[in-house]
Amino acid sequence: MVAGSRYPQPLEDEDNRPFLDGWRSGKLFLQQSREGGRLFFYPRPVCPYSGSTDLVWKQASGKGRVLSYSLVMRPNDPSFNDDVPIILAEIRLEEGATLLGRIVLADPLQVQSGIAVELLPPSDAARYPLPTFRPTGNG
Amino acid sequence: MSSSIGIIGYGQTAYEKRTTRSLFSFLAEAGKKALDTAGLNFKDIDGLAICSFELPPDNTVTAAEQFGISVSWAYLGTAGSAGPVASVANAVRAIEAGQATTVLCIAGDNYDIGGHFRLMDNFSRGLRNYGTPLGFGGANGLFGIIQRKHMETYGTRAEDLGRIAVDQRRSARRNEHALLRGPMTLEDYLNARIIADPIRLYDCVLPCAGAEAVVIGALDRAPAGKRVKVLSGFERHNHPPMEIAPLRGGWELFADQLYAKAGYGPDDMDFVQLYDDYPIMVAIQLEDLGFCKKGEVSDFLARNSFSWDGSLPLNTGGGQLSCGQAGIGGGLLSVTEAVRQLRGEGRDRQVEKARRGLVAGYGMVGYGHGLSASSLILEAV
Repeated sequence: MVAGSRYPQPLEDEDNRPFLDGWRSGKLFLQQSREGGRLFFYPRPVCPYSGSTDLVWKQASGKGRVLSYSLVMRPNDPSFNDDVPIILAEIRLEEGATLLGRIVLADPLQVQSGIAVELLPPSDAARYPLPTFRPTGNG
Repeated sequence: MSSSIGIIGYGQTAYEKRTTRSLFSFLAEAGKKALDTAGLNFKDIDGLAICSFELPPDNTVTAAEQFGISVSWAYLGTAGSAGPVASVANAVRAIEAGQATTVLCIAGDNYDIGGHFRLMDNFSRGLRNYGTPLGFGGANGLFGIIQRKHMETYGTRAEDLGRIAVDQRRSARRNEHALLRGPMTLEDYLNARIIADPIRLYDCVLPCAGAEAVVIGALDRAPAGKRVKVLSGFERHNHPPMEIAPLRGGWELFADQLYAKAGYGPDDMDFVQLYDDYPIMVAIQLEDLGFCKKGEVSDFLARNSFSWDGSLPLNTGGGQLSCGQAGIGGGLLSVTEAVRQLRGEGRDRQVEKARRGLVAGYGMVGYGHGLSASSLILEAV
């Protein structure tokens, strides 16, 4: 059992399996219409921009910037109680898509809007059910 | 909307922090009290609208079975706490279209703080799969992102947002139905513990159990002085698409039409009942609904007062911030309080010469913000 399994897990289905498989090896996959256009997150069976159901998966660089964030002191699930404050951030990825992600930082009060973040290294990915970030250059 | 159709009755249950009562006992009690004020009985209803998170596996039709009524129009809210305000507008249209003559709109839930977190963890597939596993902190974590962005983008100040919570509490002190009636100062608000920085304790509502209801029908069935006309009503869902934490909502798309159809503007409102899950969302509604320009709400808050006797009476019974949030019932609390004011039944929190007011709903938190917005303009006739 991996350490991260104590957290609530996403429910895996055919729509999100490539994304969840990717994160198990520390990679972040976004979706896009096969004919091109904007990349998007979260996983779904139709492109919210073009309406296309012919979609492809694209690996993202994992780099982005914090648009805004909360420091969560009262998590929704008790499995997070030892982690507070949890940095819950809105992150814009280099590829243009935005997502909600945790940022892990020794001193959470150091987080700021606008800072550059990157995915945790693959060795740390197993702890977290979803793509999780750290400030760039912090590793 | 038709000059002859409006809100002819209203009712509410007491709110409870914890309850052993069933959901249907709350829905039925609120419904009966609303019918009582209209001089009607359940058997007089041929349209039923219900908005409730906890209702499944039941629905509007099985609720009709519980109440023993046969209906020709059945509406089930799908827009979270924007649903009840939308249900009123839809009920008026259903009557205009001949689908029903008299509609009972009920909204309520019977949960508590723990029940609220369980609800949020499974709110939608998007949130369950991509929010809950982050330890997102329920709605508090999501609205903290929106509030911080508003503060950093526009310079919005916590001490101005706090005026909403503090002034509403002043009204709540005159409302025996409010669960939170103790005095609150701006210092209390600013010094309260942090829940999801920048969200503090008194930015948050207290989840509770309770229900609200209104009756929609021919205005001439209500006595003179007790008739509340629905001048206009609009709703919008999933606006803006593909934004996690926008500083605006669906109100911005329909505000002009809302006022044009009513024949009035923001300055003509004697009070507003806005959706106050968080003060920051009240602030965004004030901007989107034209009470001030986008980004200028902090100054607007600083130069106005919001208790029942203030320069802009807001959530005159204390709102959800002081009454408690009875799940989706919180989305109809605004309507019942508006009707109470327009019937002149606000007692020691009565807004002087209240002739018309604006009501807004908001809800259905998706992957980020609330997806749904709704509004009504109501007038005493």
